[in-house]
Amino acid sequence: MSGQAQRLNVVPTVTVLGVMKARLVGATRGHALLKKKSDALTVQFRQILKKIVQTKESMGEIMKTSYFAMTEAKYVAGDNIKHVVLENVKTATLKVKSRQENIAGVKLPKFDYFTEGESKNDLTGLARGGQQIQACRSAYVKTIELLVDLASLQTSFLTLDEAIKTTNRRVNALENVVKPRIENTITYIKGELDELEREDFFRLKKIQGFKKKEIEKQMAAARKFAKEQAAGELALKKGLPLDSGFNLLGQGSQKDEDIIF
Amino acid sequence: MYGFEAMSFNIHGGYLEAIVRGYRSGLLTAADYNNLCQCETLDDIKMHLSATEYGPYLQNEPSPLHTTTIVEKCTLKLVDEYKHMLTQATEPMSTFLEYCTYGHMIDNVVLIVTGTLHERDVQELLEKCHPLGMFDSIATLAVAQNMRELYRLVLVDTPLAPYFSECITSEDLDDMNIEIMRNTLYKAYLEDFYRFCQKLGGATAEIMSDLLAFEADRRAVNITINSIGTELTRDDRRKLYSNFGLLCPYGHEELALCEDLDQVRGVVEKYPPYQSIFSKLSYGESQMLDKAFYEEEVKRLCLSYEQQFHYAVFFAYIRLKEQEIRNLMWISECVAQNQKSRVHDSVVFIF
Repeated sequence: MSGQAQRLNVVPTVTVLGVMKARLVGATRGHALLKKKSDALTVQFRQILKKIVQTKESMGEIMKTSYFAMTEAKYVAGDNIKHVVLENVKTATLKVKSRQENIAGVKLPKFDYFTEGESKNDLTGLARGGQQIQACRSAYVKTIELLVDLASLQTSFLTLDEAIKTTNRRVNALENVVKPRIENTITYIKGELDELEREDFFRLKKIQGFKKKEIEKQMAAARKFAKEQAAGELALKKGLPLDSGFNLLGQGSQKDEDIIF
Repeated sequence: MYGFEAMSFNIHGGYLEAIVRGYRSGLLTAADYNNLCQCETLDDIKMHLSATEYGPYLQNEPSPLHTTTIVEKCTLKLVDEYKHMLTQATEPMSTFLEYCTYGHMIDNVVLIVTGTLHERDVQELLEKCHPLGMFDSIATLAVAQNMRELYRLVLVDTPLAPYFSECITSEDLDDMNIEIMRNTLYKAYLEDFYRFCQKLGGATAEIMSDLLAFEADRRAVNITINSIGTELTRDDRRKLYSNFGLLCPYGHEELALCEDLDQVRGVVEKYPPYQSIFSKLSYGESQMLDKAFYEEEVKRLCLSYEQQFHYAVFFAYIRLKEQEIRNLMWISECVAQNQKSRVHDSVVFIF
């Protein structure tokens, strides 16, 4: 990447300068807001992480207990109990539904579980093992609760992770690419405008100079003319033709043959 | 009454009684269970078991051993032994041996019926059945679409037919909850078995009546406890109690009225043989009840071996073997799930 951010290719006019300035203000504002969003998301992220660690630990414990409850049920009610229960089931009684939660602008999915319908398995193991089977059932219900919670937490974790990465990317982009670019553009435009101004100024000065020279020339010409006029009038007054006077002066300057000196 | 058996029993039953006593001496002892409880992994268990009678069955299993494989192989051993005895038996011993497995047959039938009602695959269902309860026409159970057809086409030919006709009309079959059906069938089976044993007479009748009475009473207590708080009405409950046993009829009357565990305890403690069971439980606790019942059952089953020349030893052997398989399942699961501290909670030592 270029070390110093380049600048945008624009025509260096005043309007464009105005536009660039507005954009810089926008970028700064956006940068501050996104940074705040990123911080909020990071706080949430850390909280979710802590909860996930806790839930996973208790998950280990609870799964162990429920598997053991299953063993107890198998011991008392016979090994076939699993098949007996499975065959008796038509639809699930515990179901999961998902909804969306909005955290700092990011939509996170959350799962809830709910029971639907009566379980027909209340009388399973009537002759032996009923107690253990019901205990096993409640142990596994708890496990499912925990699993659903863990699922919500993990999906939120992943989504938040994505969101934080995107936001941070944008923050960094604004900070390191967009703003310098716009600043450089502004600097460039200002520079160009200054140079134009200088050029103009220089041109003006030059033109002024010329004009002055012109005027001086004219003044000199006019003075010369005025002098001639005066001399002409003088000659007229003396009765000399304008030309003679002139001639006189002219002849005087020429070598007269008549005059031998 | 006892004298005549000694003369004629050995003609037909002597070989098999000797076989079953041989099997019984191959059951795991307390020392074996202690060793197994000390194991750290399932491979250790496999190693210990290969030193016992289960050796040839577990030898060929590949190394990441699963608890269900252990249980399967042990059940396989039981089935092999049972089949060996059944093929060698003559009447009436063969009928007696078949009676011993009707309980599993009922479970299998109920399983296949529920599975068919919910449209599961037949082959899968067949694999889930207990091997001791298989009979030839079991696969045809899946053909029937409703209970009436089921009875008419299939069940009529099985040995379970009379149980169905006795207790339920065909309307009931459609609506009835599966568990209630299963328990009604089992009640009919117990009563039938009881009558059969009475017919056999002699030591068999006496010992089997005792064992079956215990079974019936245990079921009555369990049904009562497990139906507290469910939608099972008192009349339905009473219908599920058998019509023999210590608790019949007065105990059943009282049990039908019970609404919680302490009332049940009060009712049962009036009968001295069952007092010891409930004395092991503290008030309000029902988790250990099943284990207490298993212990009591094992005690009675072992006592049946003290006498000779009767069929109850076969029944006792099958039950003791099932208990042993349960113990092995419990120990393997505890080891596999790293719950070694709970191992001694439910292991019932047989000797």
